[in-house]
Amino acid sequence: MSFGAVIIDVLAALGFSWARMTIALLISIAFSLCVGIIAAVNELAERIIIPVLDVLQSIPILSFFPIALYAFIAIHPIIGPELAAIFLIFTSQAWNIAFGVYEGVRLIPSDIMEVSRSLGLSGWRRLIGIYIPAAFPRIASNIPPSWANGLYFLVACEMITIGERKWKLFGIGTLSTSYILSGRIMEFVLSLAAVMAAIILMNLLVFIPLMRLSERYKFEERAAEVPRVWFEKPLKAIGRIFARIKLGSLRIPRVPSPGLRLPERLLRILAISIAAISISVVGYWLYSIFSESFSPEAFSALLEAFARLGLVNPLIMLGFSLLRTSLAIIVALLWCIPVAVLIYEHKFLENILIPLFQIIASFPATLMLPLIAKFIVDARLPLELGALLMILLGTQWYILFFLVDGLRSIPSEEDEVCRAFGITGFSKLRHLYLPRMLPYLVMGCLVAMGGGWNTLVVAERIVLEDFIWDVGNPGIGRMLSIAVSEGDIPLLIATTIWMAGFIMVLNRLFWRRLYEKAIELTGVAR
Amino acid sequence: MNGESLGISEEALLELRNITFSYKLRKGEKLQVFNDLSLKVRYAEFLGIAGPSGCGKSTLIRIMAGLLKPESGVVLFRGKPLERPTPRIAVMFQNPALFPWYTVLENVMLALIHEKELSREEKIERAKVFLDMVGLIGFESAYPAELSGGMKSRVALARALVSQPDLLLMDEPFSNLDPLTAISLRREIETLWQNQSLPPSSVVIVSHDIEELVELCDRVIVLTQRPVKVAGEVKIDLERPRSRRSEEFYRYVDEIYTLLS
Repeated sequence: MSFGAVIIDVLAALGFSWARMTIALLISIAFSLCVGIIAAVNELAERIIIPVLDVLQSIPILSFFPIALYAFIAIHPIIGPELAAIFLIFTSQAWNIAFGVYEGVRLIPSDIMEVSRSLGLSGWRRLIGIYIPAAFPRIASNIPPSWANGLYFLVACEMITIGERKWKLFGIGTLSTSYILSGRIMEFVLSLAAVMAAIILMNLLVFIPLMRLSERYKFEERAAEVPRVWFEKPLKAIGRIFARIKLGSLRIPRVPSPGLRLPERLLRILAISIAAISISVVGYWLYSIFSESFSPEAFSALLEAFARLGLVNPLIMLGFSLLRTSLAIIVALLWCIPVAVLIYEHKFLENILIPLFQIIASFPATLMLPLIAKFIVDARLPLELGALLMILLGTQWYILFFLVDGLRSIPSEEDEVCRAFGITGFSKLRHLYLPRMLPYLVMGCLVAMGGGWNTLVVAERIVLEDFIWDVGNPGIGRMLSIAVSEGDIPLLIATTIWMAGFIMVLNRLFWRRLYEKAIELTGVAR
Repeated sequence: MNGESLGISEEALLELRNITFSYKLRKGEKLQVFNDLSLKVRYAEFLGIAGPSGCGKSTLIRIMAGLLKPESGVVLFRGKPLERPTPRIAVMFQNPALFPWYTVLENVMLALIHEKELSREEKIERAKVFLDMVGLIGFESAYPAELSGGMKSRVALARALVSQPDLLLMDEPFSNLDPLTAISLRREIETLWQNQSLPPSSVVIVSHDIEELVELCDRVIVLTQRPVKVAGEVKIDLERPRSRRSEEFYRYVDEIYTLLS
């Protein structure tokens, strides 16, 4: 194929993938506005919505893709897979934005609410004039991590095999995978470069201007922002880290903010129609899922699947998977702590490395998975090493960015105290850096672990057309992948429940306590 | 005892010679803070530095401590160029800057990290002596978060003194304290300085509170607006402890205000 044809192919695939991402992002924003504002305004709704979001965000996204796929194919056989892909991307983008909206609205200063009440502003005016502007900065700062997250799953959801049936959507994920599998390295590299360029362009043309625009909507930060939900802080921190690092280190010329003002009526119609479409799609989907899965046969099939799994087997699989993710986190910490300290101590390194790492981090690691899989198999290296590498790709950046953020939170006077007393090198690491980093380190590990669980689903076993990557040893992600390949939906649901349950128990019993302990130990709680 | 009877010599403990310093602003512009500034801190002297707000007083303290390097000019400590911070010069910042994850005792012991010849027990002993001196005995195992603002400043003072420095630099140390606490802490610092067997030999205090400076100092140097120059200096010859109510006291205060404006 000629070079020009390849370029056209890559650009077209990129266009399709980007369109899916954009639609999913718009739905995520609409969903977040509805859910986040309701949760922040209504106490009863808050008590239902927040725990539900907590459960949803701990379920590994890839595991319910096949279920969603079946549900959407029921809607339409051709558009169905496309909708399923958009839905999957939506589930990877929505939760942190929803929490951002919830928090932004909740933290509206009370005097502003009082003024609006005394002016007698109607619900609609309050929505347009107060709630949405208050949520806007949080949405803007959560879009980049959401986009990165969505890209990560985009690649996995464009191509899926359930039992005998195969679906392949045209997009950059399928295209680059077919390039690497057929050994066309040049074309593969070209497709990666195109993704990289598209990400950089997105940052310059959309994300950064959006964040600049959002500056003017910010209320004065209130002194005591007490998180009501324990994991709210990590989620918020991701958005903040992305926002701070991007704005701080990339000095690009000011892009003129669009001075466009849509007429209010158009806005209203747009908002209502987006809300109506998203509610009807989600409603129909939930209906089709529940009407099927609540039949007695489906229920007994699920019970039977649980019986097939047994009690010991899932625990062994979870143990192996936990070992892999933990190992990846340890490896990440080993390189991230020294690098974070170096970046913090040398301004010029920060200016070079942070933007570079930012771009690499927003590059979807899933695009690299076929390359790693093929390389490991061809070079006859241990398969577990490949799995470790893949998990590392999905986890390490969170840890690095959290650590850098933690070091940046050090008050300059504490640093000066160390210098005045000649505390340098390892004793500085011990007495100042590690204590200051500790809460951020725990948060980073928590978020990285979340990313790790999601990566497991593809890192332990992945079917790429005719090529099957399989670590061989037990693993919960491997089990999920096998269930998908065999088209065994009850087994898939049973495995998902095991995994999600385990993740939630781990979060509650381990991470949450560790985080609270770290805050307490370092005494930096406000 | 006053400055005279301690025998202030003309010899300098710390000397700034022709210091130039500027901050880089965003668009490559420079904000000139000091241009050819010279001053001396003498042995056994309590020196005050006054200046309009934003004139770079805190920057000056950091240059004196070796935390910031001047662009040109030299800082001489005991006649030798000061290249980096030394335990012989202690700094008390505006904010106590205690490490919240360490107890009061551990915070003070942090300043002894380089005293290799001391055993851990000796370090604890020494830290306790200084905590006692600032009236904090019994609080060794408390964490900074459990202390009031005045107590935190006392810990910072103990930490500054425990390495037995020759020079104590203070950057508005009383500005975050309530008036009563500030009065008692000022008394303590004055008493410590007057006691010749205890550190420090000399104290430099930067403040915008002129009465505070007149109460404590032997000599007050008044700085001008940027680029900073020495507008003049006032020698304060009053019996210690000084009363803020006397007429002479206000003559000195007025003299400094005249130089400032």
